[in-house]
Amino acid sequence: MTFTVRQISLTADGREIVRSVTLTKQQLSLGRASTNDIHLPDLALEPDHARIEQIDARTIRVRATGSLGFTHEGRTTRLTDIDATKGAELRFGGHRVTISQEDGDTILSIRRVDAVSQASEEKEEARVFSLARLAPPKRLTAWGLALAILIGFLAIPIYSHATRPASDTRNIYSVKGDGAWSSGPLSQAHHALEGKCETCHQKAFVSVRDSACQTCHKSVHDHAPAARIAMARAEPGLGGKLLASVAATFGKPPEGACVDCHREHEGAGPMQPTPQAFCTDCHGTLKDRLKDSKLASASDFGADHPQFSALVQYQPGKHPRFVRASLDAKPMDDSGLKFPHDIHLSKTGGVARMARTLQAQNGYGDALACKDCHRPTADGVRFLPVDMERDCQSCHSLAFETIGGTVRTLRHGQPEQVIADLRAYYRSTGPSQPIALGGMARRRPGDYAQGRVYHAYFGTAAARPSRADDAIRAVFSKGGACYDCHTVTGGDAGWQVTPVHQPMRYMMNGWFDHKAHRTEKCESCHAAPKSHDARQLLLPGLDSCRTCHGGEKSKADVPSGCAMCHSYHMDDGAPWTPADRTIRKDLLQRAPAKAGAQFKRQDWAPAFAGTRRTSRIDGDS
Amino acid sequence: MATTAPRRARGETLHEGFLRHANFRWLKIATILCILAIASYLLIDVTPRHNGGSWYGYTMGTIGVGLILWLTLLGLRKRAMTRGRWSLKAWTSAHVYLGLSLIVIGTLHTGFQLGWNVHTLAYILMMLVILSGVFGITVYATLPTALSNNRAEMTQVQMLEAIRAIDRQLHDTAQPLPQTQAALVRQSLDDDPFGGSLLARLSGRYPRCATAKAQASLRHWTGDHPDTGKEPLEKIDALLERKQAMLARLRRHLKLKALLEIWLTVHVPATFALIAALTAHIVSVFFYW
Repeated sequence: MTFTVRQISLTADGREIVRSVTLTKQQLSLGRASTNDIHLPDLALEPDHARIEQIDARTIRVRATGSLGFTHEGRTTRLTDIDATKGAELRFGGHRVTISQEDGDTILSIRRVDAVSQASEEKEEARVFSLARLAPPKRLTAWGLALAILIGFLAIPIYSHATRPASDTRNIYSVKGDGAWSSGPLSQAHHALEGKCETCHQKAFVSVRDSACQTCHKSVHDHAPAARIAMARAEPGLGGKLLASVAATFGKPPEGACVDCHREHEGAGPMQPTPQAFCTDCHGTLKDRLKDSKLASASDFGADHPQFSALVQYQPGKHPRFVRASLDAKPMDDSGLKFPHDIHLSKTGGVARMARTLQAQNGYGDALACKDCHRPTADGVRFLPVDMERDCQSCHSLAFETIGGTVRTLRHGQPEQVIADLRAYYRSTGPSQPIALGGMARRRPGDYAQGRVYHAYFGTAAARPSRADDAIRAVFSKGGACYDCHTVTGGDAGWQVTPVHQPMRYMMNGWFDHKAHRTEKCESCHAAPKSHDARQLLLPGLDSCRTCHGGEKSKADVPSGCAMCHSYHMDDGAPWTPADRTIRKDLLQRAPAKAGAQFKRQDWAPAFAGTRRTSRIDGDS
Repeated sequence: MATTAPRRARGETLHEGFLRHANFRWLKIATILCILAIASYLLIDVTPRHNGGSWYGYTMGTIGVGLILWLTLLGLRKRAMTRGRWSLKAWTSAHVYLGLSLIVIGTLHTGFQLGWNVHTLAYILMMLVILSGVFGITVYATLPTALSNNRAEMTQVQMLEAIRAIDRQLHDTAQPLPQTQAALVRQSLDDDPFGGSLLARLSGRYPRCATAKAQASLRHWTGDHPDTGKEPLEKIDALLERKQAMLARLRRHLKLKALLEIWLTVHVPATFALIAALTAHIVSVFFYW
């Protein structure tokens, strides 16, 4: 039996070298050890790795001797029989052995196919020394990311916009394809519109129009006729013109749109307040352009604001006459009432003593205080008119007779009834005893309290009880009960009391909220304790406000933009102000100490937020 | 030795990197740009507050997107090397410094209003691109010296050839060894010097290095034998020692090269993602205007 072993190796330039050995043996040994018939210097082989045996003319048996096997036609095995005439390919470690038959001889062609080591294999320098194999491929990542972003943040939002039903009734928290487009959460007021982009952004590539706002806000007043606003607006500078032309080119609506002042997507919580610049654009130099305007220019509350003007009565009566006058002119406000604040607020004197007497009964202090007569409206913004029966009568009794424990009083506000009652009194009965008399003179504490018979029966009336006319004249004349507080006209032919009109609001174009100022004492603004005449207008002027309030950007305690007092949309309610958390916090900190003492009879809402707002969203009606 | 600069021929200059180009011309320009942007941000009274939708915001945004597109063009420009005023070096210098100024311009464009939306996505991607670029500049400025020191005047091919030579010797020397020991040597031979994960490549740490393991295992046998100079295992131990040293040099080289390269695998894809996000950002802003 003859084996021909051909060892094939390659030269450096790729030429094949074949070394052929013929071995006449029944069986060949193969392994790493040099003693083998077939010596393969391959560390993957055992020193004695396998036997190759001629079984018969055609069959060759290959058998592994050690624990490591070999590969036959791709399959690892330890024993295999091969038909030499058909040939086979075996693999031992890094060597390939091809078995074939030529002229009855078995030919074993052996060549090394694996390099000695990993490092010895052919390497492409640029590739192995770079990150090409390890890092994700740049081009693929780049296009993949770009495509993913374009789909997720462009295609899907546009698709979701295009396919949204006309009446989108989904929950605002449901996933919206275009949610990622929102530049920020909507304000509290518009929270319910979150995710319903089309409510405001009605047409693609068309900026938000006023008509979108007016879908809900139907009755918002215009500030002034459009033509007048256009005239009033200051001519923009070169930069402003450029901006306006750019805005116009891109289809923005002209100045004065709702969104100019009311910005959205500025974060959850209250909407941002309107900056005063939007007002002062026109009002800062209004007089220069609107010559006929009665409004003085104002550009900043702290620095440039005209003195307040109050609507005062210069002629009281049934049809009172009013005039708007600047507080600088110290206008008088004649409501028709006579009332010296100083006497009533004095800590000493008759009134104070009276207050102490009635302390337990009426809850007065050691002297009268403002709150004893002036009661706030339910919203706390203003004060109710003083009411005779409620606020005065506890001291200024109109009682004139007691019949079986029932006190008869003159009817306040009805002079004809007073006259009739007095005549009836004199007609039916004579006074059994003189009633305590006198107008403003000789008052004795305790005698005048409500329910006591008091000086309704006045002066000389007691001396001549049968003469009703005298009593009536006394009541309406100087020293009489009516005359004390009221302007009385006429004479015996007919007495008339000038009706009293107590205004609740003096400044019709500005808003003042007493509730927001509850941490202050009344006297710190209103000089009532020094006022001896009811006609003195006790409204504080601009300087008084400026002790705390300054312009929007000032360092004053309370920086105040125009919108704090003025409403752009000119309705009767308070100007819109956002619930400013800093003010609220400040009030909460100060309120328990000061406001508690000042307003203990009032049940102020503890979480008062510095706003009072009527809803401006109108229903369909 | 006095440190006198060597005389240079007329017109010849020392090598000047893109960072120092033209005496930091683009650094100065970018600084002025940033100062102008910050000053105008502070001086211009945008009501109610700064954001991307004010006229100032749109201006900053337009400058920003213009810069981004121009900066991206470096990818095309770098394929054509030219000299002179508009040389590639000048272009790269401008790329670096104007790219850095984009931090200021982009941030002011946002008005510091960020959220979970496509607009902030674009901003984050922009910052990612810039920061990866900053990393790139840093490694370009510091690593080449280390790379050169480590190479010890060998080329990459020479480093690989050195390992191959050691491998061949290992292979030959290990021939008489019994199978168990030969298998250990083969472990080292079969280990790919360029193998390992991206993390291993970047950190230069290969805790599962087969050569180190093979040597440690073989020392079980050599440890208690005297060094007679005849045992093949002794020679193999020395060879493995040399291979480890060579591998360490190669791996340091690969690490430095990887650091010089890795930032681009962030910088470039993030740029593409940024341009996509910018497109979505701009379209969305005008879509829902």
